[in-house]
Amino acid sequence: MQNEPIFQFNKVSFEASGTKILKSVSFEVQKGEFLAILGASGAGKSSLLRHFNSLNSPTEGQINFRGKDIDFDLQCLRKNVGILFQNPVVFTGSVKENLLVAGRWDNKIAQTLDHELVQALEQVEMGSIQLTHKAKDLSGGEQQRLALARTLLNSPQVLLLDEPTSNLDPKLSQSIMDLVNKLSKSLELTVIVVSHDHLLMRRYAQRVIVLSKGEIVGNGSFKELDKAMIFEKAGLVGDEVHDEA
Amino acid sequence: MRPDFYVLTWNDLVVSLFFIAFSFFLIKKWKLGLEQTLLIGTLRSFVQLTLMGYVLTWFFDQQHWAFMLSLLFIMILIASYEGTRRQKNDIPHFFPAMFVALLASAILILGTILLFILDVKPWYSPYAAIPIGGMIIGNGLNSASLTANRFVGEMRHRENEIETLLALGATPKIAVYDAMNTSIHAALIPNINAMMTVGLVQLPGVMTGQILAGIDPIIAVRYQIMIMYMWFTTATMANIILLAIVYRQFFTKKMQLKRELLREQA
Repeated sequence: MQNEPIFQFNKVSFEASGTKILKSVSFEVQKGEFLAILGASGAGKSSLLRHFNSLNSPTEGQINFRGKDIDFDLQCLRKNVGILFQNPVVFTGSVKENLLVAGRWDNKIAQTLDHELVQALEQVEMGSIQLTHKAKDLSGGEQQRLALARTLLNSPQVLLLDEPTSNLDPKLSQSIMDLVNKLSKSLELTVIVVSHDHLLMRRYAQRVIVLSKGEIVGNGSFKELDKAMIFEKAGLVGDEVHDEA
Repeated sequence: MRPDFYVLTWNDLVVSLFFIAFSFFLIKKWKLGLEQTLLIGTLRSFVQLTLMGYVLTWFFDQQHWAFMLSLLFIMILIASYEGTRRQKNDIPHFFPAMFVALLASAILILGTILLFILDVKPWYSPYAAIPIGGMIIGNGLNSASLTANRFVGEMRHRENEIETLLALGATPKIAVYDAMNTSIHAALIPNINAMMTVGLVQLPGVMTGQILAGIDPIIAVRYQIMIMYMWFTTATMANIILLAIVYRQFFTKKMQLKRELLREQA
């Protein structure tokens, strides 16, 4: 991990439909870091995550990406900061068509050769799936991997994951997170995961930010936050944290 | 032998009340509960159309370009208001968007017909400009209203798809392309079907009217063909212009989807 902040959030507040969702949130994310954002339901985790690639904008405060205002070049930002949503979107058509979706506006991706697409599928451990396979016929876990492969074709520096395992069983959840962890190392990705599953995140995240009612109530390693009993205060866990820790 | 003209007198019209009497009888017999509505509808259609006849007679006596342009302008304003009222969803700036779409279609299509196809002299002759302008605006209104409603439905249905595309680096225009395409396609199908079946299944109103008024069917057919082409072009143009303006209302300047606009409104 290098000490170079890739993101800087400075007193970021966010309001939607008259409700304050984020309240003066400040923190930094280092390049190459694996960060987990945890919080109970409605804590503002997903809203916060959407700020990283400017799908949401702060009502107040400032966000910098690589030292510049996050909105400096939006298309470049979104290419560099990929996101995997809770419910992966799979478009009608083949696996190949899904992988090449960004080819509609990006010539480089449009010209990707089939063997490169197969490599992209192998990268997400889907090498056995044919490019001509109907994407909608894939299982939930495979659709999640396909969405991940599509995001990786943009060669991002940062990967955002919004509750990526919430619709998957524990075994599949772990295999997806193992994959993300492997990719974060091989591709030197900065990974930011929003999750309610603190047990799963303990295996991967180097640092954790705990949100409660739109405010940061904890920012540090699991060990530090366990010591300060942050997870209990945020209403995130029962006794199982201590067992696990 | 072809009659020159079938003149419909007020007495003839009274006889046509037989249709209403018959419908009334059927409604009563089947206990459909529509008796009052039918009577009000009968009276309103009589009064409204009779008044319109007198108004049109006065309009047709006006021979001035400023009058004609003002009238078309007012027709477009009313159609834009009606189109806005028909929207099930609150789309920001919908009224001006509809106005621009209808105005542009009317200028291009009505202008082409009056100046280059019918070669009307003077071009602002109300006998041509009012009925053709009315058809263009009316057809544009119907098609564009349908498109806009469908578009919001498509946006709602494809919300996650659109955000995925934005997140991958697409511009809003690219992100909504499929939603726009599907909406315009759906709205144009009635026009395409009409072109496919015209003359086979039904005789269109304009042609029927002209034939009843004593016009040679060959000439009436030519008019009808022009009108079909005009309708299709109006619908296509109005839909594209409308959506080209409307889709922007769903995004911020930072290429973010305004998700609150897609929430179902009570």
